[in-house]
Amino acid sequence: MIIENIKRLWQLILLLALQVLLMNHIHIMGYGSPLVYVALLLYFPVNSNRIVTLLWSFALGALVDMFSNTPGLSAAAMTFVAFLQPNWLKMWTPKDSLEDMTPNYRTMGVWNHLRYLTVILLFHHVAYFLLESFSFYNLPDLGMAAGISFGLSWASVVVLEILRYGR
Amino acid sequence: MKGWLEWFKTHLHWFVFLALEATSLVMLFRFNIFHHSVWATQTNAVVAKVLEWESDMHSYLQLKEANEQLVDENLVLMHNNQILRDELAALKHDTSYVETLMLEHLADVKMIPARVISNSVRMKDNIITLDKGTLDGVREEMGVVSGTGVVGIVYQCSPHYSLVLPILNSHSSISCRLRGTDFFGSLTWKGGSTLDAYLNGIPLHARFRVGDVVETSGHSSVFPEGIFVGKVSEVLSSADGTSYELKVRLSVDIATLRNVNVIENPEKAELDTLRANIVRTEAL
Repeated sequence: MIIENIKRLWQLILLLALQVLLMNHIHIMGYGSPLVYVALLLYFPVNSNRIVTLLWSFALGALVDMFSNTPGLSAAAMTFVAFLQPNWLKMWTPKDSLEDMTPNYRTMGVWNHLRYLTVILLFHHVAYFLLESFSFYNLPDLGMAAGISFGLSWASVVVLEILRYGR
Repeated sequence: MKGWLEWFKTHLHWFVFLALEATSLVMLFRFNIFHHSVWATQTNAVVAKVLEWESDMHSYLQLKEANEQLVDENLVLMHNNQILRDELAALKHDTSYVETLMLEHLADVKMIPARVISNSVRMKDNIITLDKGTLDGVREEMGVVSGTGVVGIVYQCSPHYSLVLPILNSHSSISCRLRGTDFFGSLTWKGGSTLDAYLNGIPLHARFRVGDVVETSGHSSVFPEGIFVGKVSEVLSSADGTSYELKVRLSVDIATLRNVNVIENPEKAELDTLRANIVRTEAL
């Protein structure tokens, strides 16, 4: 339990640093930046405590907000996705897997894991950009920003996964 | 009773979810309405310190580029200086009055040099963080300029840091005029390109050309009049067709900003008191 939490804290610090020190400085054509911290949601095993998942996600979202001057924005989107995440994970977990399986493409299979990862990122980006632009009338710009950002995040998260588990 | 308790236990994560989501949304919307959430933003001392280290690292890596830019700027300034000196010399034989007038005008304006420690251009409401705060004399509502033109207005200060509402923020509105005329309007940003803003409220009988200079009007008392903002790049008509809407190519590339000056206008307090008096008289 303690080891689990220390591991989570370490992941949180790494993702926060990666997001704030590197990703926040990448703007493709003045529009999107990758939102890589969402990857934290991929690290929660099957059947983990939903409340714990919610609290960790909210904490990371709020920290990213502090460093990006967007109070509440990432926190709201992260909490929203953290609430839905267990349902998707259950849906794509193979029947014969361990009770506390950690999701990655070895345990879930490449195709299932990619679907899982894509859905999490997609929901997060939609929530994030809708909240950010609550009163924005410039719809094409919004779509452009969300699309570019989603593509970049997707690529970064896949690279992170490959780095974590090898090819 | 027991069944009810069971239900509550199995659905506890719903309540946690709703509580966290409500907290986030309050933060999100409260921040836009009031400006008192110092702890939740980059004026938070710990956060600001980390960003400052990072910025130091970046500026070290960019020294070469900065140097080249300074040399270029220096050349332009020396050239301008020469032109101005010639003009002044030409005027001076009439009267030394011009010189004293100019010096008086500049003496009013005190500049506080500051460094950008964090900047964003990706949002619709972008914010710049500066490394100077109330202890350095920065106050809310002061104007911020860079070497090439207007950047924005200070809107929140802590002792060592301050937040600036740049032109690239949907809540920013800066009173500007066309150089050489008295036609003025307000400069706003609509998202998209970080180099283009829009000047609204120029009447249809105004005469100007694409390429004309847009400068601060001095009406708002935040900026002294005549500070360069940008150039007219396209002429459009406003949504209701009663005035022009001018697309302005900004002279400052806010995305690559490093060093800025905060303008302190000592006449501001006086002007504000006068305006408040007017409002009070009207209310009576």
